[in-house]
Formats: sequence, structure tokens, C-alpha cells
Amino acid sequence: MGLADSGRMPKPLTQLLNTARKYSLWIYQWGLACCGLELGAAIGSPRYDVMRLGVIPFPSGARQADLVVIAGTVTDKMAPPIRRLYEQMPDPKYVISMGSCSNCGGPYWDSYSVTKGVDQIIPVDVYVPGCPPRPEALLEGIVLLQQRIQQEDMAARWRGDPIVVGA
Amino acid sequence: MEATAVDERRQPWLDALRDALGDALVGHEIAGADIWVRVERTAWRRAAQACRDRLGCDYFCFISGLDWKSDVDLAGEKVWDPAPPVSSGAEAAGDGRYQTGVAGGEDRFQVMARLFSTKEKMGITLKADLDAEDPRIESLVPLFRGADWHERETWEMFGFTFDGHPGLRHIYLPGEFEGYPLRKDFPLLAREVKPWPGLVDVEAMPGEPEGGAEGAEAEGAQAEGEGGEG
Amino acid sequence: MAAVTEYQKAAYIAGQAADARVNIELEAEGMTLNIGPQHPATHGTLRIVVRLDGEQVIWAEPVCGYMHRGYEKLSEVRTYPQITTLVNRIDWLGSFANEVPFILASEKLMGVEAPPRAQWIRTILFEMGRLGNITLFLGEMGVQLGALTPVFYAFRDREHVLNLIEAATGGRFHPNYDRIGGLKEDLPKGWGTEVKGAMTRVRGFCDEMEELLLGNEIFETRSRGIGVIPAAMAAEYGLSGANIRASGVDWDIRRDGDSPLAWKHCDWKVWTHPDGDSFARYWVRLQEVREATRIIDQLLDGLPSGPIQAKVPRIIKVPAGEAWVHTDNPLGEMGYYVVSKGGLGPFRTKIRTPSFSNISILPWLLKGVYVPDVITILSSLYFILGDIDR
Repeated sequence: MGLADSGRMPKPLTQLLNTARKYSLWIYQWGLACCGLELGAAIGSPRYDVMRLGVIPFPSGARQADLVVIAGTVTDKMAPPIRRLYEQMPDPKYVISMGSCSNCGGPYWDSYSVTKGVDQIIPVDVYVPGCPPRPEALLEGIVLLQQRIQQEDMAARWRGDPIVVGA
Repeated sequence: MEATAVDERRQPWLDALRDALGDALVGHEIAGADIWVRVERTAWRRAAQACRDRLGCDYFCFISGLDWKSDVDLAGEKVWDPAPPVSSGAEAAGDGRYQTGVAGGEDRFQVMARLFSTKEKMGITLKADLDAEDPRIESLVPLFRGADWHERETWEMFGFTFDGHPGLRHIYLPGEFEGYPLRKDFPLLAREVKPWPGLVDVEAMPGEPEGGAEGAEAEGAQAEGEGGEG
Repeated sequence: MAAVTEYQKAAYIAGQAADARVNIELEAEGMTLNIGPQHPATHGTLRIVVRLDGEQVIWAEPVCGYMHRGYEKLSEVRTYPQITTLVNRIDWLGSFANEVPFILASEKLMGVEAPPRAQWIRTILFEMGRLGNITLFLGEMGVQLGALTPVFYAFRDREHVLNLIEAATGGRFHPNYDRIGGLKEDLPKGWGTEVKGAMTRVRGFCDEMEELLLGNEIFETRSRGIGVIPAAMAAEYGLSGANIRASGVDWDIRRDGDSPLAWKHCDWKVWTHPDGDSFARYWVRLQEVREATRIIDQLLDGLPSGPIQAKVPRIIKVPAGEAWVHTDNPLGEMGYYVVSKGGLGPFRTKIRTPSFSNISILPWLLKGVYVPDVITILSSLYFILGDIDR
């Protein structure tokens, strides 16, 4: 949009668009390891339903997703596919790092084949701690992300400015 | 009594192997409802064949390696090392069950395989010593197809070469990985750079100098903490 | 956070941590298809490179290692309680079942026997781990074949089991409850009654799966005769658990091994199937889930009272020696070969995982198979990536 481009987005319009965006996230679940099961429980289980937050699972591919949840241990061998699939996602995109393995290496912090945290490869918006975090913890992470999206200035992303976390 | 019962079932296996291999069988142990047999390096495939044909071991469990080197100076805590150090020395009739690995000498490396018989419901562990400079041994792939992946993994982790294997290449690690991770002199770099933070058992009171005065001592205390929770 | 449109790290990453290069000779015909490592049907990060001639596979090579975390090396720098924490993440659905062989091997070296109550509770939790694991399989094989409903039922009914494991141990599926000499603490009050209720629910789930899937014509057509594994081949490759029982081999370590756990105290049956195809593997696992619920019911009825932990020193040092213990885990035969030199932690731990051997049969099994059947075979062999890659 020309408005976003030139950096002159009026406040009410930003609010409206952000509200729309935060309630229509399409989540690309990357269940790598045990956290993937809790991710599956959050998404597929009728108890911890993630759809009630407006987050829809199972896009047809990375190119149609805007939120990716890296759930599980990131190994050095897996790092290039993660990077590649992250780059395939269109902007604006968000990343949630779920579980201590993808936050910082977790219980495998001293392993020779584990990347100590997925934030070494891709930028992360929300870290959800736990080993594994309960599905409710993931839902809280998504809610935090939604609050963050609400405060976002879309023009900043377009300009390429660093995103500042709102209050 | 249990010991007699074990002997009755496993002693015939030992006898059959001795009959098949003769002098190549250099060590054995029957204990704890299990049997270990150590063979000469050159008799590895013959031993596995004898297990398959004469003992009826049709099930291939695993192949892996052992690195007995124990005097490596790495920063990681040597939790396997008992304190005070137990006396070393090769045991007389045993098969390398407890053996202090000699740095760079012979018998540092061993390959071990586990085979099982689904009819008799009993298994056997085979071991063989390898040359420390050039650890190589015959491949068991012609006998058991399942050995393929296990030998690839053992090559990758230890550097043992298996002669006759269809293609030794990486199975777990990326292609450019350097070194053999499960060898004892392969350091875990994260622990070299930064010792495990949990070594410090007691945090300093505010105002006191912080420091690792209790660091070394605290390893025992920390372990006690671990054992105490258990 | 920097703007997300820069590409400067891409080349660095690609150089540093490249994928395994599979030796593929270029051929004029045949299309090389890369399934994975991110794929809904591979249950995790397994990559299978297949070469196709039309719809048929002429060559297949699984590339694993995308979840290799180096358990055996990590075990060399950790004490026994620390390894127990780590080890239940190998087969991350089977939870408690991962800890048991390791603890049994350490107890064997120490010469310590856990009290009967602990052994019985261990068995109950082991079988609950089996439930947590295989119920997901029952639903999820349906998904791979196109039936979307069963997996939601599976997630729903697993929750009952996971809640109860959490009530007893504190973790939904990483319990860290087993200790050398016994268990961490006793069960909460009223747990047994709740578990019985959950078992009834799981049995109801099994009946639902039988109705939804086993009797379904599409499921039968897509799985009968697909991926037939003869018994001798299964044994040679090291297939274990339900995979080898579905090929007709009557072998169950719970019954045939000399385990101190409580399976010998109850009346249960080992299920085998002569066919060895994907349908047989599904069928055997369904029966095993039902059987597991019966085992748990019987064990709860006869649970002995008493201490929950044998007398072990506070700082556990396992005497020198080597021990091998294997159990019939949900995925197959899992075993630990523990080499101890008398210290606080093991000198070497070899972890024998079932899925590693289960997958090694794929290059042989997938030859000549059509592409949709590849998915059927993968899901019927049932592996967990943590189990393959350790």
C-alpha cells in the first residue's frame, strides 16, 4: 500500500489493520521434537484449541503462513532447512521459539550437534520456556505475540527499521 | 539357583563357539544372565557366522564401539572416574570388561556386537580388539543386512573402518563434520569454554566476594544434592 | 530486532552446516524426489530421497540425523540422575518407558533390587507410556491415509492418560520419575480409581478406531499387502516390537526376558499376525493397546504396599562393570549397554533404539512401491525421530 510505503499510516488505520492481522494468523507448525507434541496438542486437541485465538493451523506451505513456531531441538544439520523455509515465508512474519531447546539449546547445551538456540539463525519474537511447555504456555505466547502485533507500526517494517517492542 | 540355571542355558553356547572358533576365542564371561565373548580381530565374521548358524542368532541387535582411553585432560567433569582411582591392570580371564585404556597403545578400541536368537530368547555380546592406529575390521553386512546402518554409525562416531561395507558415509552428522565424536579425546566444546554453571553450589552472600572457592569442592556437594533428590 | 529482509547469513549457514550429501549418480531417467525433512508425513525431521520411475520407487535412501543430539556423548559427562532426566526425551511419546532400561541396567550393576511396589508402579507407568505412544499412532496412521477424524480422537483420549501421568509424576510426557532403587515418590491418593476410569475410556477409543479404520474399505485396500516384511528379513534388520510381531514372530521381551518388572504377575497375551503387511502392524498395535489396558487394570488390583525405594546411598556410585538391559518399549526393543568404572556417571552408554533399526529396512522395503504406499509404509512402521537419531 502506498500509505505504508511512505510512512504516513494514520493511527486508526494502523489499529484496524493490526487487529485484523493479529486475529488471522496462519501458523506454520514446525514440530521438530517433543515440543512438537505439545504443539500438536495445542493445535489438534479439542482441549487446548488454538483456533479460538484466531490462529489457523495447517497452511498449504510456508509461502502461505505468517507465524512459524519452532518447537523442538534445532540441530546443525537442520539449520539450513529452517533458514530456507523461514525465507520462504512472506512478510510480515513472526517467529515463536517454543521450548528450551530452541530458546537456548536446552538440556543439550553442550552437545556437538545442537544449535544453541534458533535465534542464532532466525529472528525470534516470542520465547516460550518449558521442557516441554504446556499447551497453555504456548497459547500465552501466542497471546503475547498478538499484543505485540497490536502495537506494531506497519510502516516501520516496510522501511526496514528495527521493530521496537511496544508497551 | 540362578547361577546354575544361567550356566545351563549359556554354557552350551560358549562350548559351541569354542568348538567353532578354537583359539580365536580369547576371552569370555558368563555373568548376570548374560554372555560375553571376545574374539580375535581376524575371526570377527567367523564368530558372527557361528552365532548365526550354530547358535541360532537370527536377530541383529546392534554394533557399536568402545574407547577405553581414560586419561584425557579435558575440562568437562570426569563423572565416570571414581575417586580415588581404582587400580588398573588387565584382568586375567576376563574379556576386557574392566580395562584401563592405555593412551595410544593397544586395545584402546573395541568393537562390540549384540546378536539375539528369537527362538531361544537369548542374546550374546561379541567383542573384538582393534588396532589403535588403524582400527579396522570385517563388516558383518554379508551376514546381517541390518549391520549396514550400525556400522555406518560406528564409523562415524569412532572412526572404525569396516572392510566389505557397501559404503561408509555419514548417517547422523553433516557431511563436513570433522572428528569422531565418541572418541574420548573429542571435547565437548561448550564445556571447554564454560564450565557447567551448576558446579557452584553456594551463591555468595551480598557483600562477600563472589568466586569459585567452593567450585571444586562443590562438585561433591552438588552431586550429593543430585543423589539426595533421587 | 533487525529487519527481516536481509540475506547475509544465508551463505554462512549453508557453508557451515550443510545437509548430508547423498551420493546420487545422475541418471537420464527417473525423477529424484525429496520427501522431508519438513513434511507432515514423516513424523518429524526425517528426509527420504527417492528416485522414481513414474509412480514407482526404484531407489530410496532415508537421511536421518536431523535430530541427532549426541546422547551417547552427553551421557559421558553426566551423572546417573542427570542421564535419567535426559533419556526420557529419546522416545518422546513413550515417556517413562525410556528411563526403565537405563535404571534397570544401573541397578543390575549395583546389585540393588527395587521393592515390589516400585516395580509394579514402574510397570503400570511403562504401560501407560505405551498407551500414550500407540494411541497417537492409531489416530495418526489414519491421517497419513487420508482419514482426518481419528487423530483428533487420539489427541483427546491421550489427554486422559497424560493427565494421570502428570498427576503421579509431574510431567505430561517427560516424567523423570524413575530412580536407581525405586521411584521418586509414591502415588497420589485416588490415582488408581482415576486410572481405571481412563482405561475404560481408552478401550472405548480402541473400539472407535476399530470401527472407523479397521473396518473401513479404503483403509483395508490401502494397507493390506502393502509393505510385506517376511519374518527372517525382519529379524536380520533388527525390527522389533509390533513390527516383528506383525510378521509372525512370537517374541515379546516382557514375557520372554528376565525382567524384574511386574509383567509376570498378571495374565496377558502376546499378539502376533502372520501377514507382515501394514494392516497387520496396525492391527497388532491396536490389540496391544487393549492388552495394555488390561495389564494396568490387573496390576492396579493387586498393587502391593510397601516402600517405594530401596536403600541406596545418597551419592550414587555404580560399581565397575558392564550391563545390558532391554525392554519391549512401545516402539520396539530398546536397550542400554552401560559401562561403568565406578564413578558418579557411566563411562560409556550405548543406547540401542528400536526406530533406528526399523528404518534401516526402508531401502530394501521401498523398492518397487508406489508413492502413496511409501507414506503408508512409513506410518505403519511407526518411528519417532528422537528414537532414530538419539
